[in-house]
Amino acid sequence: MGTFVRWIQKAMMSKKARCPEEEHWLELVRLMLDGQTTEEETSYVIDHVEGCYRCYDNYDLEKEIREAIKNKSINLKVSDALIARINNEIKA
Amino acid sequence: MFTFDFMDKSSSGYTKIEKSDIFNNEFMVHAEALYNFAYKLTHDEDESKDLLQDTCLKAFRFINSFERGTNAKAWLFRILKNSFINDYRKKSKNPGMVDYQEVETFYNSEGSEGQTQLTPDLRSETVKGMLGDEITNALNSMDVDFRTIIILCDLEGFKYDEISKILDIPIGTVRSRLHRARSILKKQLAIYAASMGYK
Ligand SMILES: [Zn+2]
Repeated sequence: MGTFVRWIQKAMMSKKARCPEEEHWLELVRLMLDGQTTEEETSYVIDHVEGCYRCYDNYDLEKEIREAIKNKSINLKVSDALIARINNEIKA
Repeated sequence: MFTFDFMDKSSSGYTKIEKSDIFNNEFMVHAEALYNFAYKLTHDEDESKDLLQDTCLKAFRFINSFERGTNAKAWLFRILKNSFINDYRKKSKNPGMVDYQEVETFYNSEGSEGQTQLTPDLRSETVKGMLGDEITNALNSMDVDFRTIIILCDLEGFKYDEISKILDIPIGTVRSRLHRARSILKKQLAIYAASMGYK
């Protein structure tokens, strides 16, 4: 979906816009982002999300949170000493 | 005690060379992911080191129950999770940890309906601007069971069927627990953002 179209939609719709089945769609959006939907289910979800301000916002946020968890988490390195300790235990 | 019912036990044991080959090439390549998973569960570097070591030793001891070429990562994560529950959780320094069963009962009795209305507004731009520490703090503020399932799904990229095997829960529970965990995390992030004056 084009940024411009989204911008127009956002501008035209009230920030308070609610979706009557928001929780239902949120669950489907999450399944889709987790790769748990079929191709057919995915296009069903996308169809709704593209036409619903509230659900698009949820989709956007859900994606961003996943990205943040994936990219901003601290990654500790395993020290060579620890690997050596483990290998020693195995050999013992 | 320990059962690996989701992996077929190979009928014949591995030779010494095969064992060392599997251990080095199929198990130890996941050492870093396992260590980070351990750290996210315990929040303690020493305990994480011990947990990684225990996991590796158990994996080696039970290596004949592992079928070569199958999902070693999920198999190892399952061992680590079981070690954490059986050996570490009881003596853990972290007082915020709750019993698995209690949590299950809690969120099975709590419907997800109405959660959205209770969640303060949070913008994706706000999340984008958050620091790693802020995301980590929000994750850490969650109960370990919710934290675990989000880590397995989002950070480690496990699919629902793999998570189901790692955590010993049905896929339907994976789905509902994840949904609930995500709503709680979103709420934590929103509260945090509001407290920090993010707009
Ligand atoms: Zn909607």
